[in-house]
Amino acid sequence: MAQPEPDRTTDKKRVKVYELRNNDWFDRGTGFCTAEFVTIEEGQSGQEPRVTVEAEDSPGRWLLETKIVKDDGFQKQQDTLIVWTDNGVDMALSFQEPDCCQQIWKFIDSVQQTFQSVNGTHADDGLSDDLAIEMPSMIQLPPADLASLGDLETQIRIMSSTANGRDALAKSIMNDNYISRLIPLVEMAEDIESLTDLHKLCNIMKIVLLLNDTTIIEHAVSDDCVLGVVGALEYDPDFPSHKANHRQWLNSQGRYKEVVRIEDEQIRRKIHQTYRLQYLKDVVLARILDDPTFSVLNSLIFFNQVDIVQHLQSNVGFLTDLFGIFADPNEEQLRKKEAVLFIQQCCAIAKNLQPPARQTLYNNFLIHGLHQVINFGLRNFDVAVRVGATDILISMIDHDPQMIRLAIYRQIQAREAPLTDTLIDLLLVETDLGIRSQVSDSLKILLDPTPPGPPENRGELIAGQGRGQRQQTVEPQQEVFLNYFYENSAVRLFKPLLDLAGRTEMNFNVLNDGVFSYLNDILCFYIRQHGQRSKFFVMQNNLGQRFNQLLSCKEKHLQLVAIRFFRQLVVLQEEFFIRHLAEKKILGPVLDVLLRTMPRDNLLCSACLDLFALISKENIRDLIKHLVENYREKIMALAYIDTFREIITRYDHSQGYAAVEPYFLESDDEVSTRRPTNPGARGMMEHLAIDPTEDEYWNTSDDEENVAREAPETGATPNSSTAKPLVEYTSDDDGEESADAVMTSTAATPSDDASKENKEPTTPGSTSGTATPPERVSEKRRREEDEDDALDKLVHHKRRNSSAASSNSSISSATALRKKKNFGGGRDVSPNGHGPKKISITISSSIKNAAVKAGAEEEGK
Amino acid sequence: MSDLDKAIAQLRACRPIPEAQVRELCHKARELLIEEGNVVTVTAPVTICGDIHGQFHDLMELFRVGGDVPDTNYLFMGDFVDRGFYSLESFLLLLCLKVRYPDRMTLIRGNHESRQITTVYGFYDECLRKYGSANVWRYCCDVFDYLALGAIVLGASNTLSPNPEQTDVSEEDVEIEVCNADGQIMTQFQRQSRRKAGKSPNGAGGAAVNGVAAGSSNGPTGAVPSNTGPPGSGASGASGGSIGNPAGAVLCVHGGLSPLIDMVDKIRLLDRKQEVPHEGAMCDLLWSDPDEIDGWGLSPRGAGFLFGADIVKVFNYRNDLSLIARAHQLVMEGFKEMFDASIVTVWSAPNYCYRCGNVAALLELSEDDSGLGIFARSNGDVGRSDGGMGGGGGGGGGGGLRSVLENDLKPGPARRYRVFQAAPQDSRGMPAKKPVADYFL
Repeated sequence: MAQPEPDRTTDKKRVKVYELRNNDWFDRGTGFCTAEFVTIEEGQSGQEPRVTVEAEDSPGRWLLETKIVKDDGFQKQQDTLIVWTDNGVDMALSFQEPDCCQQIWKFIDSVQQTFQSVNGTHADDGLSDDLAIEMPSMIQLPPADLASLGDLETQIRIMSSTANGRDALAKSIMNDNYISRLIPLVEMAEDIESLTDLHKLCNIMKIVLLLNDTTIIEHAVSDDCVLGVVGALEYDPDFPSHKANHRQWLNSQGRYKEVVRIEDEQIRRKIHQTYRLQYLKDVVLARILDDPTFSVLNSLIFFNQVDIVQHLQSNVGFLTDLFGIFADPNEEQLRKKEAVLFIQQCCAIAKNLQPPARQTLYNNFLIHGLHQVINFGLRNFDVAVRVGATDILISMIDHDPQMIRLAIYRQIQAREAPLTDTLIDLLLVETDLGIRSQVSDSLKILLDPTPPGPPENRGELIAGQGRGQRQQTVEPQQEVFLNYFYENSAVRLFKPLLDLAGRTEMNFNVLNDGVFSYLNDILCFYIRQHGQRSKFFVMQNNLGQRFNQLLSCKEKHLQLVAIRFFRQLVVLQEEFFIRHLAEKKILGPVLDVLLRTMPRDNLLCSACLDLFALISKENIRDLIKHLVENYREKIMALAYIDTFREIITRYDHSQGYAAVEPYFLESDDEVSTRRPTNPGARGMMEHLAIDPTEDEYWNTSDDEENVAREAPETGATPNSSTAKPLVEYTSDDDGEESADAVMTSTAATPSDDASKENKEPTTPGSTSGTATPPERVSEKRRREEDEDDALDKLVHHKRRNSSAASSNSSISSATALRKKKNFGGGRDVSPNGHGPKKISITISSSIKNAAVKAGAEEEGK
Repeated sequence: MSDLDKAIAQLRACRPIPEAQVRELCHKARELLIEEGNVVTVTAPVTICGDIHGQFHDLMELFRVGGDVPDTNYLFMGDFVDRGFYSLESFLLLLCLKVRYPDRMTLIRGNHESRQITTVYGFYDECLRKYGSANVWRYCCDVFDYLALGAIVLGASNTLSPNPEQTDVSEEDVEIEVCNADGQIMTQFQRQSRRKAGKSPNGAGGAAVNGVAAGSSNGPTGAVPSNTGPPGSGASGASGGSIGNPAGAVLCVHGGLSPLIDMVDKIRLLDRKQEVPHEGAMCDLLWSDPDEIDGWGLSPRGAGFLFGADIVKVFNYRNDLSLIARAHQLVMEGFKEMFDASIVTVWSAPNYCYRCGNVAALLELSEDDSGLGIFARSNGDVGRSDGGMGGGGGGGGGGGLRSVLENDLKPGPARRYRVFQAAPQDSRGMPAKKPVADYFL
């Protein structure tokens, strides 16, 4: 590059000089700026470039006199600002005119270009004109020898403290191939046993890696460098008496298992590189890793893995060899095992790929015979292979359950034993906890007839909401599959439960008693998803009684399983199950459990109380009636607990022979605590006025119920429901609609309902307008990126537990039920919920400031 | 039991125990924990600890500073796992000690004792590496579901037990004593009569915030005794009141309060055996944070709530509590009292994540000799629901609130904080994760 003629400017440029003192820009004064080559005095040849500012008010006084040296890091910012570091002090010139600034900058820039060309690096020639402004100057590192390690360490430590310095440093290191020059020093220092030098080397290497430069890190894990780099990091001055053995670990052959030879040299190199990157991330740098470096490492690993998997899946020869291993009866067991583990690792990587790429990978695997691998794996005697196979299966189900369902459908058509039966067999005999819970999850997902919909609808719908429509959209294959399941597999799956019939001794093998908990999970899920089929199954096999038997075994965790099942039945609030509970007198033994444990305050007791509190809170009249009529004495014995007193009061009230006042007192009390999602109004702050509309609702609710609900449901006989056995959706909806009819005179479409309610502020439904809690979920979503520890970060892990969580969470379900009541069948709680959301924005904005402030104050954790 | 002792010895040496033994341990722990209420009753003396986060060597340092296990009663307020590199060893050791000395160890659940959180923040990964499968993680998660949600400490004295390191016995009206790791007193605060307008909660909070900033420079030794209290005890001394009424109890919970829980007894009604839900009372208890606000606020964490001084004071009054001890938030000084000492955050993971530079603390409550403070609190207490306490709750409305805030708060029990730093680097070996052994890809 030709050196431009320094622009000797004679007319002075008006400028303010600033200096950074204690994080504040201190104004040194205003003056006129000159930038020129000044002849050095005392006979030395040559000139040096200087920037000077002469004070405006007192000519001859210099506000600034600085020599342009190469690592001052001059930068032009905006149009009128030049900043740099002068002997460690941050300086800034603020020009009055952009033109003047540009002229001075031109001079400085040209001088800096000269420095770069002196160093012989024209790395950025191609883009220099635009980028030169932002480009940091190059630097000269001390020679790589033991004697200058001290200098080197100090210099790079200083450099790495500023963004410019880091860039410059990173460039020099790569350009000078500095890492390779440092590596021999490690062995030299080891030879002369100079621990101080080794410590310096370690520090230098740490700084270099934490510069967080992709090229440097890639270079550091290359075949040539990696051992030297981790070698240097073995001597950590933070642990002076320790030496790590990274080289030994990475050097040992045989960590890399090559099931089928990968021919491509470059891919093989990438595989090793990826392993080293992981080792760096997890072991060598784990303690000192900062977030930027962590993400640089992660993205390097990720892109490598993408390349590797892409290469493998398109390599037909490779895939044929790989899956051929399972077809060969003479193949060694060990090699088959390794092949399973290899595929497992592929699938684990695939989870991070984009869905289309993942789809291609699985398709290619399936074409080459993945089913047979899973079948081989699930039945294998080696636990590691079974774990591998379930993992593979789970990752495919996670990706696209429909793909597996269709495969099962084809198996059924072909009269082969379907995959679900294999899974069921495995679940019942498996002792490995991990496999068991994964199999249990797969049995749930595979039998979930819900078509994939918006995520908030999946697994979070409780009770009968929206399920009617879902039933209709089930595909015919799904029907066949479900029919087959309930005809053949269900009995097999729930055999341990069914076998309890007639059993009096409740002793279980410690290893296997966990199966009940899984069966309960699965059954609860089926009950929520399968409607009639599951109801029939529960009734036909008298499962309530079976669970009741568990109450009499001495293991408390099994008793808990039973209580959990009953709770699920109650949560659904479906007449069928309510009647099942009553007819089979299932709650009596639960009361006995409570009476038995009551003086003590343990988990069992809490679970029972939770169940009865739910019945009382939701005011499930059939059950309250059943309880009081059949177990009045037991309940009286427990009446010192609020819940049970309430149950009796509710019963007496509904029968019409109790004093009215206590009932109202209690429900008033409840009102203040029964609005769980409104942080401002609910809870202990009863000095707040009770919402008048809400109040009205509570005062008027009984009348309505007398008209709309009491008559068909708790009246003399529930004739409407007996007329339509098993068809609970319609009957459920009927009930709701007749309630609606009373309130809004005509049951209409959801939107109609909503608008009507807006016009008629006195109808109970309109309480939603004034007392709607802020929609916290949406609020959460909005913030999710900011929060390090926020729960929402886990959204992608959520699926596996979501069903369990929703079934377990008493509060959420109770809330949902309450909404359902308030909003008339929950139909105007539309997926996009216009009403609540609008309100949430206005409420939340005021709270947000506080939240943001708090977030800034404390590191969340 | 010798098997268990062997396991304890092995874990103390930071070596994991075999999977079969973990399973057995977890089954024993389950039997034990199932018998505990959602709110465990603990009697003083007890030493209360905050988050541990898998910092095994610092846990050993904690035991060194606070006394070893059968000799000192401990209450750990959750977050045993994640972040640090020895979650497994830390949690299993605590669990072993719990099984071995059930009456002397209390473990309650933190928000990190959950399947979802541990899959993201390290514990899952660690189990996978150390055992080659996630089974141990699953065993541990099963135990998490059984952990209690909170604890009530009864019978804590208003006077400190004598400090063995101190020759001149301190006067009896010391309310707060801060000691260093060697037991030497760094600062003491006398009980004071209530200051009416001396310091608004906000002012106190401001001081504490400044303390956080300053604390990063020099840790606890930089604390200078002054009127405003040491860093971390912004409102120290303000919880005065009549001396000699030990009836107030201390509620320990990982996160904080919930809008759904106005009485401690309501916590007892939860079926806690489940994954920590995303909302609801159980979630809030594990996720909420106190904050300088009025009433309730949305939490930036996305779960739980923020709650202000008014909430704490009303809750404490209604439940006859003198103090709420919680963990969940990093405090640079190891502990931080807020809202006129009605709530304290205790943090027991020094140099959190091996780089935060904070110190840790534990809170000692000593035993009240009179025995007045101990009475059973459970659902079974006749009269608790329809008598005295219920009346108190009802009376809290309207004008009652003002009197709550100004007069009727219980005096805080005498509190001794022991502040300690991270275990010396050299004693612990290099903390690192276990590398993946074999690789195919």
